[in-house]
Amino acid sequence: MKRTPARISQLFFLALFLILFTQTEYRGKDEINAAVNSFFRVNPLVLFSYLLAAKTWTWLLLPALLMTVATLVLGRFFCGWICPLGTVLDLVTVHIRKSAPIKALGGNTKYWLLLPLLAASLFNLNLSGLLDPIAILLRGLTFLLHPLLGLAAQESWVSLYHLIGERRDSIAPAYTLVHDTLLPFRDTIYPLALFSAAILLGVIALERFETRAWCRHLCPLGTLLGWLGSFSPFKRVPASLCADCGSCRELCPTSFTGNNLVKEECVLCMDCQRDCPHERITFRPGLALKGLGPVQPGRRVLLGGLAAGVLLAVPAKFRYPERVSRLLRPPGVRSEDEFLKRCVRCGECMKVCLKSALYPAAYQAGIEGFYTPLLIPRLGYCEYNCTLCGQVCPTGAIPALPKASKQREVIGKAVFDKNHCIPFARKTDCIVCEEHCPIPEKAIRSREVTVIGADGLTRTIKEPYLVEEICNGCGICENVCPLESKAGIEVFAVKNRTPISGEPASPYSS
Amino acid sequence: MNRRTFLKASGAASLLAPVLIREAFAAKEQSLVAVAEGSDYPAITRKAINAVGGMKKFVKPGDVVVVKPNMGWDRTTEFAANTHPQVVRAVVEECLAAGAKKVKVFDNTCNDARRCYVNSGIENALKGMKNVECKHIETERFKKVAINGHFLKEWELYDEALSANVYINVPIAKHHGLSKLTLGLKNIMGIMGGSRGYIHRNIDVALADMNSHFKSHLTIIDATRILTAHGPQGGNIADVKVLNKVIASTDIVAADAFATTLFGLRPADIPVTVAAYKRGLGEMDLGKIKVVKA
Repeated sequence: MKRTPARISQLFFLALFLILFTQTEYRGKDEINAAVNSFFRVNPLVLFSYLLAAKTWTWLLLPALLMTVATLVLGRFFCGWICPLGTVLDLVTVHIRKSAPIKALGGNTKYWLLLPLLAASLFNLNLSGLLDPIAILLRGLTFLLHPLLGLAAQESWVSLYHLIGERRDSIAPAYTLVHDTLLPFRDTIYPLALFSAAILLGVIALERFETRAWCRHLCPLGTLLGWLGSFSPFKRVPASLCADCGSCRELCPTSFTGNNLVKEECVLCMDCQRDCPHERITFRPGLALKGLGPVQPGRRVLLGGLAAGVLLAVPAKFRYPERVSRLLRPPGVRSEDEFLKRCVRCGECMKVCLKSALYPAAYQAGIEGFYTPLLIPRLGYCEYNCTLCGQVCPTGAIPALPKASKQREVIGKAVFDKNHCIPFARKTDCIVCEEHCPIPEKAIRSREVTVIGADGLTRTIKEPYLVEEICNGCGICENVCPLESKAGIEVFAVKNRTPISGEPASPYSS
Repeated sequence: MNRRTFLKASGAASLLAPVLIREAFAAKEQSLVAVAEGSDYPAITRKAINAVGGMKKFVKPGDVVVVKPNMGWDRTTEFAANTHPQVVRAVVEECLAAGAKKVKVFDNTCNDARRCYVNSGIENALKGMKNVECKHIETERFKKVAINGHFLKEWELYDEALSANVYINVPIAKHHGLSKLTLGLKNIMGIMGGSRGYIHRNIDVALADMNSHFKSHLTIIDATRILTAHGPQGGNIADVKVLNKVIASTDIVAADAFATTLFGLRPADIPVTVAAYKRGLGEMDLGKIKVVKA
């Protein structure tokens, strides 16, 4: 990589992305001040699909509005100066030999991706996060690469213990430092891990055909930024290859396929200006020349894209009812519909979740809920005093709530299964769920009952019962139930998620 | 005879003739419980320790000591779900002053370990102390050990507790939904791994098994504030009663028996205490325990 301002900026933002990624974790403080959500809050694709789907404004996305304005003025600089996925592509592409570009990807393909996504958003199906480049990178890291790194480190650390025992303690400070700064706290295996990594690798593999093939022909964020940037008064002069030179074609990473610069694909890296042998190239504001004004996809693409969006939006809503009964959302999500309109599916809540309770939905929430977070209590529960998922959610789909409010938000309601629950089924004491129930007044309580045990003897045991009105569905009861496999108490989703006591203002009013 | 064989031998002996042994001990030495009261928690902790002979009686120079507080819950100090950080720090300081080579403080937490260590205040209270470790539990360090008890035949115990020269049990006195109270005898669960919920099926016998297999050299019960209801994790400040007391004893059953009275209960009301007493692990008859104000 050459040391140009654009390259330095790219490396800076990639480093920032990775630092914020490792910061998106509990580090001994209840608040996370800077998280990787910044990259989504500054993301116009997130903004547009949010506005279309939620049909309301949120101040969380003010940075994205500013980015939109900056792009309207300057052009598509995000892709050449900031985008961490673009930087990853630039870093690897020099090592990948190119064959010919894929023809099918050219032309209007990118609009056929962007427009249906935006149109579907208008009809309350917000899937733009599935193809958002930052989300693709983040999910690949969160669901596979980071856990893999953690697992490898953890396994080596454990094998070291089996090899040398307590002498391992002598290097423990070094491991603790690495563990506390870089590695995930616990090993978590995520569903869709391979799929997420495959998408990321697929984007990288496209470099086999063409430099920045993903960015030029597919990326919906890039397409949106390109379209916005085409309104920019800044022009590259000259707008086409010079008859006597043509070096630009070699220098340009994106927009010279033919003889003319494709303005909406220009990522403003300025390499052509810097390296022009004749020093002829400038980027300067000017009046729109004929034929070089804002690009508009053809009417057919526009209408077709809209229609595709509508067609996508309706059938994607199908859900199997039995799956919905266990579809538990992060705390503060009161309405499934409002949640789906806002969720970017970026995976940050799942990354930050203290007890690894949140996992990406593969099939549980239907097509419309693909990759949205769902709480699986048997794997992890919602920690009573933790509010991190709401803090890192870039759009407020999971509302950022103060601790006292979050503790009252209802995720679901616990239900005893008396065929499994130990005091009911086996007539012996247990009450582990009551012990762990974090509600100060205890949503799980017990009473002494006299029973005849399996041995025919009469004894007094404690039988648990639920005080449903104050159960917030955190799932710790199901998590700690000492039964193997199926728990004797399980949390089920409920439609009415009115907070358990005291009604704070709706978390969605901003 | 190393510590483990001693424990095994004494465990076996106590199984064979618990009553005889109890009588023998009772004849030799009356169980002593020291109670210190005051609002300076480090000071009363030291007073209580000194009243049972001082830390030098338990910790010899070069010893590795485990100080096991209760820090199982993500609750701050005032909720009385975890041992008071000042009490823990005072115990650790006494161990160091007695010449301990290393003092290890840990608990197998119920809530997220990071949050428990931070919000109990204990991690922070020990920060920067030389030769003191306050590390999270590492699951690979649990070793399957033969308990040979009435209910527990074998269980996974933490190797740092097993290999320590001295084990000091520093529970907080609080209410518990199943065992009524959780005190010294129950705090031993913090060195147990595996599926601890299983123990609940027969908790009195299981804890007697554990405590006869693994002895606490000194039990220091934090009753600076106690949790009177909705234990073991509480969460409501109205359930907390400030008593400004610290209790110390080498007899874990006697310490528990005395602490029971702070809740207005009798030792015989607590099945865990009764089971341990019957097993010969200590004295629960308040009339036979010598209580000294430190």
